[in-house]
Amino acid sequence: MRLELDRIGHAYLGRPVFEDLSLALGEGEVVALVGPSGCGKTTVLQIAAGLIDPLRGRVRRHYRRHAVVFQEPRLLPWLTARDNIAYGLAARGIGRTERRATADRRAAEVGLLERDLDKYPAELSGGMRQRTAVARALATDPEIVYFDEPFTAVDVGLRRVLQDLVIAASAREKFSALFVTHDLAEAVRLAHRIVVLSGRQEGIVAERTLDGMPGQRDDRSVFETVQAWMQDPAFADLFDGDRD
Amino acid sequence: MRHGLAFLGWAGRYLWSGWAGAAGLFCIAAAWQAGHELYGSFILPAPLETVREVAKLAQDEAFRHAARETAERAGLGFGLAVLIGTTAGIAAGYSCAAMRLMRPVVTVILGVPPIAWIVLALIWFGASGGTAIMTVVVASLPISFAGGLEGVATRDRGLDAMARSFGAGPFMRLRTVTAPHMVSYLFPAWTTTAGSAWKVTVMAELLSNAGGLGGDLASARALFDIPRVTAIVLVTVGFALFTEYAVLQPVRDRLEQWRQAGQPWGVKR
Repeated sequence: MRLELDRIGHAYLGRPVFEDLSLALGEGEVVALVGPSGCGKTTVLQIAAGLIDPLRGRVRRHYRRHAVVFQEPRLLPWLTARDNIAYGLAARGIGRTERRATADRRAAEVGLLERDLDKYPAELSGGMRQRTAVARALATDPEIVYFDEPFTAVDVGLRRVLQDLVIAASAREKFSALFVTHDLAEAVRLAHRIVVLSGRQEGIVAERTLDGMPGQRDDRSVFETVQAWMQDPAFADLFDGDRD
Repeated sequence: MRHGLAFLGWAGRYLWSGWAGAAGLFCIAAAWQAGHELYGSFILPAPLETVREVAKLAQDEAFRHAARETAERAGLGFGLAVLIGTTAGIAAGYSCAAMRLMRPVVTVILGVPPIAWIVLALIWFGASGGTAIMTVVVASLPISFAGGLEGVATRDRGLDAMARSFGAGPFMRLRTVTAPHMVSYLFPAWTTTAGSAWKVTVMAELLSNAGGLGGDLASARALFDIPRVTAIVLVTVGFALFTEYAVLQPVRDRLEQWRQAGQPWGVKR
């Protein structure tokens, strides 16, 4: 196991978000965490990534390095795309030449052009910024990558491209990933396992292991899986528009 | 090589933008000339007359010494005010308790008129350079403090969390996340500090009779040497212009190049 969340619980200003939540992430495993908005998906991710401390429970990490891809790109506006990609490397104290070489390689992997690397984030399009953020996460050779609804703000076509990019990278580099999303189709496309978080503070309400490998499922099977789950009471929260 | 060329391009653009500033200054000179023609040389010497007086004074060893003295005092006062004020401001920005404690203190310090500090400093330091330096420090420290405080307090927490997720330590986060953001708060504060440093130094020198340009101004006033008075004023203003446009602005421009990158075409200068 790379990561174990053991009966964690959290509350904001006394209002509980979830209680007794346990979740484990195996080596090379991509787990999608889905749930309606406001159910605490991001909080679980932030606890796992060590950005906030849980009120209760324990987090066990059996890895050296992780990286986070946030919902917004969160690029430093005063650094060029190249320096942004190399930020995690700079934080680890890696020398300039090596940083540059790694950043150039990772940028090419996510489909950024050489000439864009000297631009500041303000000069990049939304999709290019999110590509930069993905490259920045991959540049540190992480053992776990945390994705916090990273592709919600990009258009449908680009979202597919970025998903494929994540699928290819995780297959190639064998990192584990916790992928938070509210889009069930996205979860079915790129995960090995799907965990559904309740919208009523009930913790994990369902867990499904998907057949086959991510990237090998065609659109038809993804669509049919999602359609089948829509009838499933465990997924009712996700499709319930009346919930407050 | 590429960096060298980029620097030259930037420097050229910066110098070229000086024309607009010069145009503004010449507008002031024109208004000044109009005032001179209305009231005559005794009330308001002509700009050209003043410039000639400045040229004459520049040959005078005693005047050069006085100007250097004022420059040293103002510079030292500015440096101390910026250093202490900014450091304390950054520290206070990171600590809510310190911020709440320091804010009223700053208001109190700002509320005491500089002239009162001069009187106090005169009693403590006597008629020496210390009076001018202390007055500058006390009068302009709160501005830098407020700049540093606001800069840190308004830093982007999301970027800070991002930096933490990559394992960046507190110093690296200050350097890469907070400091570049603070620039836009600190530079206005520092320009105000630099401007008031010159004014307050001359005022303190004049009142404490501690030599420097202020002392010169006092004797010129006593002798009713009006061209000399305007010449000294012109020199002081020249110093202030120099610190702002030859020292502070170029540094700010270099540090904030990323802002220009975000501006649409045609707005870039």
